[in-house]
Amino acid sequence: MSHTLVSLACHAYGIAAVAYLAYLVRQTELLATAGRVLVGGGLALHGVALFELLGAQSGRPVGLAQGFSALAFLLLAIFLALDVRYRRPVIGAFLTPLAVTVLLPGLLLEGGQAPLPPGVRQPLLPLHISLALLGLAAFAVAAGVGVMYILMERQVKAKRFGLLFSRLPSLEFLDTLNRRLVLWGFIALSITLVTGTLFVLTAPGLAWHWDGKSIATVVAWTVFAALVNARIFAGWRGRRVALLTMAGFCLVLVSFLSSYDLTSPAASAMRLP
Amino acid sequence: MELICIGLSHRTAPLTVRERLALPEARQVEVLQRLAQAPVEALWVSTCNRVEVYLAAPNAAVARQRVVEEIQALGGPEALEHLYEHQGENALVHLFRVAGSLDSMVLGEAQILGQVKDAFERGQGAGSVRGELTRACAAAFSCAKRVRTETAIGRASTSMAAAAVQLASKVFDGLRDKTVLVVGAGEMGELAARHLKGAGATKLFVTNRTLARAEALAAEVGGAARPFEELFSLLAAADVVVCSTASPVPIFTKENVGAVGKSRKGRPLFMVDLAVPRDIDPGVGSLEWVHAYDVDDIQKFVADNAAARAEEAQKAGVLVAQEVARFVKERALREGTPVLARLRQRAEAIARAEVERTLGALGDGLTEKQRKSIEAMGRAIVNKLLHEPTSRLRAVGPEGEGNRLAGAAAELFGLLEMEEAASDAATPAAVSAAAAQAATGVKR
Repeated sequence: MSHTLVSLACHAYGIAAVAYLAYLVRQTELLATAGRVLVGGGLALHGVALFELLGAQSGRPVGLAQGFSALAFLLLAIFLALDVRYRRPVIGAFLTPLAVTVLLPGLLLEGGQAPLPPGVRQPLLPLHISLALLGLAAFAVAAGVGVMYILMERQVKAKRFGLLFSRLPSLEFLDTLNRRLVLWGFIALSITLVTGTLFVLTAPGLAWHWDGKSIATVVAWTVFAALVNARIFAGWRGRRVALLTMAGFCLVLVSFLSSYDLTSPAASAMRLP
Repeated sequence: MELICIGLSHRTAPLTVRERLALPEARQVEVLQRLAQAPVEALWVSTCNRVEVYLAAPNAAVARQRVVEEIQALGGPEALEHLYEHQGENALVHLFRVAGSLDSMVLGEAQILGQVKDAFERGQGAGSVRGELTRACAAAFSCAKRVRTETAIGRASTSMAAAAVQLASKVFDGLRDKTVLVVGAGEMGELAARHLKGAGATKLFVTNRTLARAEALAAEVGGAARPFEELFSLLAAADVVVCSTASPVPIFTKENVGAVGKSRKGRPLFMVDLAVPRDIDPGVGSLEWVHAYDVDDIQKFVADNAAARAEEAQKAGVLVAQEVARFVKERALREGTPVLARLRQRAEAIARAEVERTLGALGDGLTEKQRKSIEAMGRAIVNKLLHEPTSRLRAVGPEGEGNRLAGAAAELFGLLEMEEAASDAATPAAVSAAAAQAATGVKR
């Protein structure tokens, strides 16, 4: 049941991506509306599937496929919220293809869950995971917006008045959007880090050790902490912030991937049904 | 008198060459006075996109050479590579097209007519624009008026200032909460200020070397005037800067703009330079937080819009052709050339025939000297006889007597092909009246 729903949703996203890319070339309101409706419909189907699935797993996505699926869902949910709020459908041309790329390996890849230490079965775990995913999705959108900023800035600086120049939103808009997304992502990441640390410290028989995941997460947090500070106190903005956001996103992605055991043979059992 | 046009424009020359030829008014007058020694007439049209000299001269080749020398002296030998030339009717067509904004960077923009008119008045003031060029300009102005009223070319027109505002919207998300600084309170500054206001700018400052002009403009568009000495403190607070001063050297350099960077905390600055020579040094754009555009960049930006107006431009081109044809015909009538030429031809033919007859009757007994004397006498009688009517026909003032006299002469001497001469109502007086109308239309 849920596999059919997710598959349907993926098709909807795919068509939406085509609509948004067409919108990039030919700016007609019809294409933007089609994209919006398709993403909304896809999210509804996708949401039902995830709700069903996670409800059965006590609110925890299991396996890389489900993780990616949840990530794509949140990413598009954030996009839809932005689209409704700011009415800049052009962003869809960058984010819907990204969401489809995130979702596809989830449907195709096999990846298992790293065995969860027994002590970590805590009531706060669903919160920890949801916030981690939400933060990751926010950073993904911020990185996408960062790519748009870099592209637009290049056009503005080089005075190339091509298609992108006429279609992309203003630099100021993209920069402001990046600021908001990074701030929310940073808050989510911070809470994730605090709850994660709490789990490790409070779980009986679990000692702190620096594995790849915690290193990547702490480095990513440091990068974003520095970024948020530099923005507020040193007036950083624009290009370097966009580049740093993209770098930070990669680190968070590494941290996310290292939650999963990509080599586990048991992974096939945990594929999205 | 032959009309020629020599110049360079955004179509042929890069900004760096154009700005070398962009002279302050006083120097334009000097050049004009050098070029326009009677009977030569000269008009110097200088905008940020073009520098053109129009000449009416009895000997086009000599006059042309002097213009080329002037341009070389001002812009160096490099400038000569970018020159174009039009002669006779082509020069007229070009003048009409320029005044009608058909040769503009932004097709159909309304500013150019005012600029040509300013050039015309400057030429009149300097005494370099007299009868011939006055009539040509008047006809060009009336043609421009027809282009504006009879085609849609100017309707959706984006001026340079409007294009500048559009560019700003690619950096800023609206101008509502932005601080806008207009440097230079000339016509371009005024246009820019109006467009910025129209785009929602609320905090608008105007600065100008002469504070009074800044105050006048600020009062007119609803901004605040500031003395020029505050330029850099204004710059530190500004988000958008539009400059269009007549300064011969850049006002903003990488160093002095970079110096205000610290206090801005990375706040982006959008600068548009509508002036030629440039007010903003090209190096300024290399600062990370500055986005600087000059007139050539804006040309690139508006190039796309040009296609949309190509059709209207074609219609306008037909109008120009009509107006030029009319002017040429009127000029021919005014100068009475056909009448005079035919009259002289007829008289000379008669004189030649009579001289031949006389020489034939006198036989071979004449010396070479006597023969020449008789020939000279024939020519002298023709010249003496035609001197008065010739000078009278040529000297016809703007009262419109030209047609009557020419017509009368044609009738009196049986030069019958001149029928149309008397029938055309378009007299020089009518042309000047139309030009006056066109001119008031431009000044808004």
